[in-house]
Amino acid sequence: MISIENVSQSFPGVQALDQVSFTIRDGEVHGLVGENGAGKSTLIKILSGIYPDYAGTIRFDGEVRRFGAVHEAQAGGVATIFQELTVIRELSVAENIFLGREPVRAGGRLDWNAMWAKSRAVLSFLDAPLDPRAPVRTLSVANQQLVEICKALVLNSRVIIMDEPTSSLTEHEVRQLFTQIRRLKERGITILYVSHKIEEIFAICDSVTVFRDGRHIATVDRQATSPDQVISMMVGRSLSMLFPPRTSRRGELLLSVRGASRAGEFQDVSFELHEGEIIGFAGLIGAGRTELARALFGATPLTSGEVGLQGRPSGAFRHPSQALANGVAYLSEDRKREGLMLELSIRENMSLAVLRRISRYLFLRPRRERELVDSYINRFKIRLTSVDQLVESLSGGNQQKVVISKLLMTEARVFIFDEPTRGVDVGAKYEIYKIMNDLTAEGRGILFISSELPEVLGVSDRILCMREGRLVREFSREEADPEGVMRVLTGGEAA
Amino acid sequence: MNAARPALKRVLGLRELPILVYLAIMIAVFSIAVGGFFSFKNFENISRQIATVGIVSVGMTLIILTGGIDLSVGAILSFAINIGGLGIVAGWPMWVAYPFMLLLGLVLGWLNGFLITRIAVPALIITLGTMNIYRGVIMVITRGRYITPIPKAYEAIGSGYVPFILLALVLALFIYISLRTRFGRNLFAIGGGEQSAVYSGVPVRRYKMIVYTISGLLSALAGMILVGKSGFIQPQAGLGYEMSAIAAVVIGGTSIFGGSGSVLGTFLGSVLMGLILAGLTMLAVNPYWQGLITGVLIILAIALDTVRQLRRK
Amino acid sequence: MRRVRGSNLILLVLSGVNVVIMGLLTALSPTFLSYGNLSAVMLRMSELSMLAIAETIVLIAGGFDLTIGAVMALSATVFGTLHVAGLPFAAILVLALSAGIAVGTLNGFLVVALRLQPFIVTLATMSVVRSVVYGLLKGNVLSDLPEAFLDLGYVYVLKIPLLFLVVVLVAVLAIVLLRRTVIGRRIFALGGNERTAFLSGVHVDRMKYVVYALSGLISALAGLMYTARIRAVVPDMGITSPLEVVTAVLIGGTAITGGKGSVFGSLLGILAMYLLLNGFNLLGLNPFWQVIILGTILIYVVGQENIVRGVRAALARGSRRKSQKA
Repeated sequence: MISIENVSQSFPGVQALDQVSFTIRDGEVHGLVGENGAGKSTLIKILSGIYPDYAGTIRFDGEVRRFGAVHEAQAGGVATIFQELTVIRELSVAENIFLGREPVRAGGRLDWNAMWAKSRAVLSFLDAPLDPRAPVRTLSVANQQLVEICKALVLNSRVIIMDEPTSSLTEHEVRQLFTQIRRLKERGITILYVSHKIEEIFAICDSVTVFRDGRHIATVDRQATSPDQVISMMVGRSLSMLFPPRTSRRGELLLSVRGASRAGEFQDVSFELHEGEIIGFAGLIGAGRTELARALFGATPLTSGEVGLQGRPSGAFRHPSQALANGVAYLSEDRKREGLMLELSIRENMSLAVLRRISRYLFLRPRRERELVDSYINRFKIRLTSVDQLVESLSGGNQQKVVISKLLMTEARVFIFDEPTRGVDVGAKYEIYKIMNDLTAEGRGILFISSELPEVLGVSDRILCMREGRLVREFSREEADPEGVMRVLTGGEAA
Repeated sequence: MNAARPALKRVLGLRELPILVYLAIMIAVFSIAVGGFFSFKNFENISRQIATVGIVSVGMTLIILTGGIDLSVGAILSFAINIGGLGIVAGWPMWVAYPFMLLLGLVLGWLNGFLITRIAVPALIITLGTMNIYRGVIMVITRGRYITPIPKAYEAIGSGYVPFILLALVLALFIYISLRTRFGRNLFAIGGGEQSAVYSGVPVRRYKMIVYTISGLLSALAGMILVGKSGFIQPQAGLGYEMSAIAAVVIGGTSIFGGSGSVLGTFLGSVLMGLILAGLTMLAVNPYWQGLITGVLIILAIALDTVRQLRRK
Repeated sequence: MRRVRGSNLILLVLSGVNVVIMGLLTALSPTFLSYGNLSAVMLRMSELSMLAIAETIVLIAGGFDLTIGAVMALSATVFGTLHVAGLPFAAILVLALSAGIAVGTLNGFLVVALRLQPFIVTLATMSVVRSVVYGLLKGNVLSDLPEAFLDLGYVYVLKIPLLFLVVVLVAVLAIVLLRRTVIGRRIFALGGNERTAFLSGVHVDRMKYVVYALSGLISALAGLMYTARIRAVVPDMGITSPLEVVTAVLIGGTAITGGKGSVFGSLLGILAMYLLLNGFNLLGLNPFWQVIILGTILIYVVGQENIVRGVRAALARGSRRKSQKA
């Protein structure tokens, strides 16, 4: 039995887990669900030993344990199969299964026979027809995952944590995985199954825990609840979320996308954006929204499809500079790694996308740059000591303001905002919604990607739902409700 | 022992086959184009060259497998034999001089490993720095002069079949280690997925230090073989060995990114390098072009490796 | 705020260090401050300063160029051998400089197309270029050079060596390029964060070509200047330059990770290093100590930033632990 008691973990700017407490029973398959950012992966990392500095207590069968490293957790009987598989591709199946604890004979010699025999034993337990000597890189993702499960078994794990295990599996492979899970359960192993796919949770789990905003909401037996209930626990919010009033006036066609596809990421996406419109893109991790945005922006090439701008078919953009020149701007979801140059000044960061405008022929015009930068600093009340201050010394919220200013400076016709309020406090969020409203009031169009459902619903005129790379359903603002949308996103309802 | 046959099959299966083919072609071409290519005297020269580069390359293979690199191998080689050489001239007996050289190589290699694992600076830069430091110290101590005379006895290690035997022993040992010991297999893990290796409890830091120490030791051993050749020891010894070693490793199929490769492949790579260089000398091609060829070969090999890696993804 | 004051601080400290060293040297050897010695110092620093300018540009762009010394030798070699072959002065001048641009473009191509670490790429091309140099010179020293060219080392304008003025000119051009032009801003962006620069519309690949080609051009020019000064083409030209120049540039405040740097700082760094070495010579210290010291300084300078970062991270972790256990 695992008892999690008042566990909290914070990072600069965000409280990932807040006094979480619940119990996982021995030998059960325990599901853990929640939206993006609910705290699931933080808990996994704590249980795996990656984050040893949490507050609170975790007990295994009554005994308090705190793991300082992953191999400590493994020694303590907890094995984790991460979403990003950790197999070593060049080594064989057997070597991966026994990594770090390979059986040796006298003198440090590897006992290959023992390794192969034991591997075969555990593979046959899982009914997996794999050759222990095959290099792992020749295996499919599903089979690589099996190797990781074998590794967990060989470690005599009593608890196996699976993090979004089906994100890369076909339906057939998912069913096979469930068979393996049932076998593990027969062995008395406890499984923590973390996923956002509700139908899977209800297919395999005995009980479900729901997280929201870093807090524990409920832990219930599967029998005692329903998908609808779980979904509403996942998204339920107190009505403290406020959105600025919005009147949408639809104007001319601005952007038309037809049949946009990019192999392995998204397929056959078609929609139209008009002047004055905010289109919200809802979806879970892996839905393909960011990939779509990047392709529309010219950062990656489209495999097929057409992108037309202002009624003029221009084909896809081949480079971000082309997109920017044509009035399309993109705000990345990862502002630190893709939106800012941390060791350069605020001024240099802000003006990067509009260098042509602050220069004459080849030379920069410092005064023009300063005017432009100052105007945006005043407009958004960015708190700084000097325009030449390094961006990395600003707070998260102010950094986001810098990035947004940089975007707005381009005076684009189409803005693609990818998770613009991530890591930003409530007050700043409101300001960002207002900015979006102002932009559309000027006749611009916005593609708004967000994983926070209330936000998408509260700000967008239309909501496009993406799932596994496809556009599955469109809601208008009036007909959209949180549970209905979540159902579509998680596949709890056929499209 | 029933592990040997499938292992051999696996080894000859993919990576090393192209090299063997190149080698066969190369040998055929040279024996036709150059008269006397396969004479005994020539064999001695070639095998000594292959042996010295080969031994250093074995150490480099282990390092590159873990995702590291060592630019100071030539400097360590020179350091060991020059300082050891001073001892020889001062009258030390062979059973003191040789172990002393090996010890020097071990210590300098260990120093590299220590710096690389403790300071968060890329191995590339650290070994660039230590390369210059070690060579600088050599210059200071030897004052740029050759060390001479070296007693005839020291030539034994560099003549006849001895270099080849030493190379064979080193190869056998490290092929065994890389294929049959936990330490060896874990090196692939460190290079192929250091994070996973850490998670699995592999003592990454310790293994990295061992690998650089071994490389230093092997560099010193290679230096010992060189000493026998000319009767004197020069401070510029080993110049360019790092490039040749890297070339042999990369040509032999080990990925410069770490995580895949083989000691056997490196051996074949150094044979190829040695043959090409020896063959070109016999064809009276300007020796200064050797560097050109080494550079081009490295670029080509890495390019091929990159293509291979990209295709895999 | 931080960067302006921080980088100014480095420049200030460096200038101070230089002044102190000069003071010491004057005290130890009264001929130091003589016009003769000073102009000799300026002359001898010329090529290294040029190389430092080239390397600064590449480092700011987030790259790394080990070929600077080799290209210097190559351009001199091309110049000399073509002169011996009888080609006219203008032609050999252009060809020598073009050789540098060609190597730079090759570097750019390998870095962009193979997506390899610039260090490894330029390491390999460096050895290739060196071999070409040796092959062309066959180990000899060339002293058969154009008359007018040989006198350039003696030309003085307003009592300042012409060659040094060339350095000043190139430095000014480089500073203007980096700080006042669109291209310069893009170079800083490239080094600051390549992903961000790309998503902001910078043609990242194109810029890399430009930067390496520039470096090749400036290094080639340095080679010609060196040849004019020593009145010969020596095959070993610039063989220790990469280490010296990179160390000086890093001391001067340019970050090895890119996005930050200053030409002026690099020049101060060259001056500091040169004065140090000059001082050692005057004091009669073994010149081979140079290399030892440079290697140590390099590791220290590069490692220092990481050590500081590591310490900061450890402190942050410690305080977080305290606040959570509370």
